[in-house]
Amino acid sequence: MKLNNNIIKYALPLIAVFAMSGCTKLNEGLGSTLTNSQVSSALGAQGTGLLLSAAYSDLGGVFTGQDQVFSLEENSTDESLVPTRGGDWDDNGVWRVIHNHTWNADHGQVLTVFNNLNKINFDATNVLGFNPTASQNAEARFIRALALYYLLDIYGQFPLRNPGDNLLLPPTVYTGQAAATFIISELNAILPNLPTANGPNKANPDACSILLMRCLLQQGTWANRAAPTFAAADMAQVITLGNSIITSGKYKYATNYFDNFSPNNASSPEAIFYYPNFSGVAANNSGITARWNMGLHYNSYTPFNPNAGWNGFSTIGDFYASFNTSGAPLTFGPADTAWDPRLGGRNYLNSKTISGINPGFLVGQQYNETGAKEVDRKGNLLAFTPVIAANMLETGSNLELTGIRVVKYAPDYPQYQGNGGNNLMFFRYPDAVLMVAEAKLRTGDNAGAMALVNQVRTARGAAPLTGTLNLVDPNPGAYGGSVPDGPKSLLAELGREFYWESHRRTDLERFGVFGTIWQYKPTDNATYLLFPIPNQALAANPNLKQNPGY
Amino acid sequence: MPTLVGLFACLGVLSAQAQNKTITGKVTDSKDGSALVGASVVVRGSKTGTQTGSDGTFKISVPSSTTHIVISSVGFGTQEVYIVNKTSVDVSLTAVNDQLNDVVVIGYGTARKKDLTGSVVSVQAKDFNQGVITSPDQLLQNKVAGLEITNSSGQPGAAPTIQIRGTSSIRSSNNPLYVVDGVPLDGSSARPNIGTSFGSTPNSNPLLYIDPASIAQIDVLKDASAAAIYGARGSNGVIVITTKKASAGPIKMEFNSNFGTSMGFMKRFAILDAGQYRSALTKYGEPASLDGGTSVDALKAITQSTLSQNYSLAFSGGNEAGRFRASFLGSDQKGFIKTTGLQKYLATIGGNYKFLDKRLTLDFNMITGNYAELLTSVGNNTGSQGNLISSAVSWNPTQSFTNPATGLYNFPSNGSGNPLAFIDGYNDKSSVFSFLGNISAAYKLTDKLEYKILYGVNSGTGTRTQNLEGWVAGIAGVSGLGTGQIATSKLNSQTITHTLNYKTDLSSSITMDALAGYEYFKTDYSGTGISGTGFNTNLNQATRITIPYTSMMQDAATQTPFFSYANPTAEIQSYFARLSFNYKDKWLLTGTVRDDGSSKFGKNNKYGLFPSGSLKWNASNEKFMQGNKLFSSLAFRASYGLTGNQEYPAGSSQEQFALNSFNNAPQVVNGNPNLKWEKTATMNIGADFSFLGGKLYGSLEYYNRTTSDILFQTNAIQPAPSSISFINLPNANLINSGVELALGATLIDKRDLGWNVNFNYAYNANMIKKFTDPNTGLNLQVQTGQVNGQGVSGTLAQVIANNQPVNEYFLKPFGGFDASGNQIIGANPQYAGDPNPHSLVGFNTSVRLKKFTFTLNTGGSFGFLIYNNTATSITNISGIAQGRNIDLAAYNSKEAPSSGVGASTRFLEKGDYFKLRNFTVRYSIGSAGKYIKNLSAFVSGSNLFVITKFTGFDPEVNIDKSNNSYPSRSIEYVPYPTPRTLSFGFNFNL
Repeated sequence: MKLNNNIIKYALPLIAVFAMSGCTKLNEGLGSTLTNSQVSSALGAQGTGLLLSAAYSDLGGVFTGQDQVFSLEENSTDESLVPTRGGDWDDNGVWRVIHNHTWNADHGQVLTVFNNLNKINFDATNVLGFNPTASQNAEARFIRALALYYLLDIYGQFPLRNPGDNLLLPPTVYTGQAAATFIISELNAILPNLPTANGPNKANPDACSILLMRCLLQQGTWANRAAPTFAAADMAQVITLGNSIITSGKYKYATNYFDNFSPNNASSPEAIFYYPNFSGVAANNSGITARWNMGLHYNSYTPFNPNAGWNGFSTIGDFYASFNTSGAPLTFGPADTAWDPRLGGRNYLNSKTISGINPGFLVGQQYNETGAKEVDRKGNLLAFTPVIAANMLETGSNLELTGIRVVKYAPDYPQYQGNGGNNLMFFRYPDAVLMVAEAKLRTGDNAGAMALVNQVRTARGAAPLTGTLNLVDPNPGAYGGSVPDGPKSLLAELGREFYWESHRRTDLERFGVFGTIWQYKPTDNATYLLFPIPNQALAANPNLKQNPGY
Repeated sequence: MPTLVGLFACLGVLSAQAQNKTITGKVTDSKDGSALVGASVVVRGSKTGTQTGSDGTFKISVPSSTTHIVISSVGFGTQEVYIVNKTSVDVSLTAVNDQLNDVVVIGYGTARKKDLTGSVVSVQAKDFNQGVITSPDQLLQNKVAGLEITNSSGQPGAAPTIQIRGTSSIRSSNNPLYVVDGVPLDGSSARPNIGTSFGSTPNSNPLLYIDPASIAQIDVLKDASAAAIYGARGSNGVIVITTKKASAGPIKMEFNSNFGTSMGFMKRFAILDAGQYRSALTKYGEPASLDGGTSVDALKAITQSTLSQNYSLAFSGGNEAGRFRASFLGSDQKGFIKTTGLQKYLATIGGNYKFLDKRLTLDFNMITGNYAELLTSVGNNTGSQGNLISSAVSWNPTQSFTNPATGLYNFPSNGSGNPLAFIDGYNDKSSVFSFLGNISAAYKLTDKLEYKILYGVNSGTGTRTQNLEGWVAGIAGVSGLGTGQIATSKLNSQTITHTLNYKTDLSSSITMDALAGYEYFKTDYSGTGISGTGFNTNLNQATRITIPYTSMMQDAATQTPFFSYANPTAEIQSYFARLSFNYKDKWLLTGTVRDDGSSKFGKNNKYGLFPSGSLKWNASNEKFMQGNKLFSSLAFRASYGLTGNQEYPAGSSQEQFALNSFNNAPQVVNGNPNLKWEKTATMNIGADFSFLGGKLYGSLEYYNRTTSDILFQTNAIQPAPSSISFINLPNANLINSGVELALGATLIDKRDLGWNVNFNYAYNANMIKKFTDPNTGLNLQVQTGQVNGQGVSGTLAQVIANNQPVNEYFLKPFGGFDASGNQIIGANPQYAGDPNPHSLVGFNTSVRLKKFTFTLNTGGSFGFLIYNNTATSITNISGIAQGRNIDLAAYNSKEAPSSGVGASTRFLEKGDYFKLRNFTVRYSIGSAGKYIKNLSAFVSGSNLFVITKFTGFDPEVNIDKSNNSYPSRSIEYVPYPTPRTLSFGFNFNL
């Protein structure tokens, strides 16, 4: 019994101690992040602004990165490709399959773009659950509409959540006409609520109009990508919306085409909507430096930044030739830039004294800042040539020289490899002008369309087009190239004005020529009119349906 | 002086005896006749006793009725001596070889090895590995069957990969739980991990602050029966470290010193030397201008053979009522690569004091000190530039590093960078102050019931500074600008444990040992960081100053926003109990249960119950075995139990919003309130045996571990705040099963000659089953294993897929070379082999010849493939055309320099290897002069050679090439190479 007494005497109080010390509730306290309720309670109305700001900042990476929307929209077309150059740019073949239309549903870029566009979709929707003001509500829905537009255009469908939905449950998926109608109705609904005081760094009514015009032009393509249709009412609305921008007097053409893409492009008179970057500021910089490094050669900017260029992205010779509306002989040299100043190749922003790099198309011998000829890493003269290996696998001793390089955004030299200050252009004034021209052309107003096209060309210093303006050249073979189009068409003008601005694929589809054959894409089929739903996304959401053919 | 002696005797005995007599004597080691210090001398059947002094002698006053005294000492057999009519006895004790009486540390208690019902391997200090030891895990390499320790980096202090019985979790760490002197650690280090533009750097070993020389014993708990008492955190096994404690006796001082130096590469990556390079230029028709006209060895140029020094000093002493031990370590270990190293200043202090008639025992232990790591730029996933080893292997061997006229570094424009300039212009230092302490009080409520409380703290603060000077050319975003970073981090974890232990005899044949307890564990981790680029100094090599950028960060033209973070506090609250029965030492039964609650999980699933049971049959204690000539001992064990895993980011059950720089606050975590424990069920069957009077002994085990409710980082269902989210996979199972064999033998045990041999072998196979998404039922497939370098961006080499081993290779097939010498690589990746070693072998032996002892430690891994990412993208043949060096295999192949780069099965190599890890010769002089005792000196060589067909640096490799936090396995990528080292030293006691 002594034992029992001891247990009562000592053990029971101890057990009580155990029980008392065991009162921890194990509620997890977050260390430096906020819970949902804290965002409302601690940040209040300002918190909604911070959420909106997050949605804006999402636009940076996915639209700037060379391996995201840019790659799907440009490398899949006649404007851009990334040949494998010996030890560079194989990357498991990801670049080549985008250009020759043999990608599949496991492609990493297809997944990244899907996730990142949906991140915008989520963050913008989240704003709506935190008591936004009318203008915050409209801005958030504009940003979401922009993401949904690209999702629909690239994947043919998009998932959509309501604010506050359980994130562990699969959301509804919009496809086809319902998807287009949703975006268009959103844009119509928010147009009156967007603050007119917002500049091009924020959602504004003109940006909303431009996106709405694109949707109206595009919805017949989304309905039938193999044979796009264009409703007269849609075209009429495009003309109305576009004319109100044109006649507003708020915008004019930049003196120099490349002012739109320079480190100072915040002040471009054409800017309607851009993603702002600040030179030398790391916070929220979208990584715009990729836009010049991706094509430039290692030795393009010596001695300050040896090995800076990535020696990759090029355009195809036929696309370059589409700038030639006069039929003059091709020289693939500086003489060609007389055709159309948008080809670039001219000294810009003191580039001659800094690096010798002139924005635009880089072809032929390259020079450094002293005027001396640049060489490649084997000591060959660094003279870019238009022809790339047929299978996009460069293996010769000239593998660093092939391909015409494109530098659309002029380098921000103090931040050559750092945090460039060039803003990323989404919408410019010529978007409005050329969409109105397209709507007019599609509704039979050839003369009206031609006038607008020539307005743009004149502003750029290119000779006006003459004769009949076609949507697509009916006889591209006469021109001799293999691009889907000849130079005297509206589509060719869109290419010349908007090259490397991430909507070439959309344009080619709308003009019905995305499936035709061009350089380094010997075959194609209708499957590739849509990118596949990434397998990973498909495995997570049973409401997503894989696109036909994948 | 008899009165005084009597008084001492009285004090010692605490009960006066009327009629006493005095016995004197000496206790020696039967092997060499040396004195045994601190041996216990006790009157049989009583607690009356004393201990031998420093010369092995004792003097004890015993009741005149005493017939026997019992002499014992740790590590030796016990002897009873008949003392009737004797006043003096000399006793020689024989060392015990069967180890069955060794005390093994199990959770919250100890047990004799022969009473263990679970799978536990105990390694004592005398059996530890020798040579250059920087952290405790190295003491065990190849000593324990099924314990795999992979040192992926030659950087002193880098974290190894440690796995017990394979990969039991498909994501997060598979590291075991470490328990030091009763305090469970959280497994992280306070060294800040700076992410640089050169990729992530290898982690620091979380046990760096523990002085290996202060460790008495390490116990490895392998099966669920042993580990389930640690519940939630035991599913990867448990490693229990016990530091040295004082034994009662006179004050003693121990001094140890050793000195070491690197002696070149254990194995070199085969690249072209200058002569071969010139031949290659001719062979491939490359311009002669690529021949720089000299001959250099870049790999050799980046290494050093500087002397490392380690000194340790320990004091200990006390009596039965109070003892202490304090040890101090000062260590300056030089790395194999120039400018790298590890400096440690550590103190380990422990004491044990008894009060209230020895009913109350107070223990304290603390390990505290500072360690500094001098690092270099050897990133895990560096791209085309910024990894020092990458720069060295691709350096043109005909090109001199500097311009002889100016003494300034040459910077070729071929992308290789200048490795010596990199070493010169880059510095990266971390300094961590660490404290691990515990204090415990145990009170015997009755003779059978003991209550114990333990409070432990593990705290660390670390600072790291990193500078890359702007004059170092050829590095994007840094050259011409300069960059500096400072980061700090702080770790604090606390443990409170209450236990009640009740031991009793239920009957004359059944004894019971019951334990109940409560434990609370809490850990916090936080940190800060600042970085900037564009400094005004050190932009020109010729005008350098010694002030680092990190001493003047405000000078940076581009200041990245500073950041700070604090991880969610992770708390675990647990109730546990263990009940053991012993029936006549024939049948032993143990049951444990632990109920763990963790703050990481959602509201409804915070608690997990982890039970286990085990049974042991000591067959050799049965009557029918008595008198058998074959077995000295034979026992069979079986156990089954559950352990848990919660190793995923804290906070994942909650929706989280982050306040970011530039005024935005996105939601960053999806949040899953339904998350619950991942569980691993382990079945273990084992047999322990010894033959020939214990001269040959061993154990054989079979286990099967099945992990379910896998905590899975899944693709979030878009649209979502993050691309990932955590769920449990209800159906999937990860299965590890295998066998382990450990054999030991005392082949010779004579006075002047002894020979011991130990061998262990483990086989493990690993497979994931029913790996499907719970929403869609579709098979899941997770790709990981980043292949890095120019031209292979975004390539992943491994996959976690249904019915495959974890991290199975998934690569495009290599089909040789075409007529032009270009690689032919198939279009679609396929399953290509297993990166997990199937067989692990360890072999250790020691030979004692008079005063010399020769110790050999060897081991190897077999049955796995290594992916050679270095050869894929750093030393591939295309480099020759730009004037970079290439590897010998490419040179000897039919490949042409125009061949494209690409990841494929071409770079999979057999990883099988067998290493001579260490060979040590020790000369034990014994006593020297009046005061110096146990004087010995040694010479030791480590990593002396490796037998392998692998062409890279070291087949013992596991560079962290994780993707999306999914770990990779067995990929080599320009690692910090493994040196051969030679060390020597001496030690003595006072």
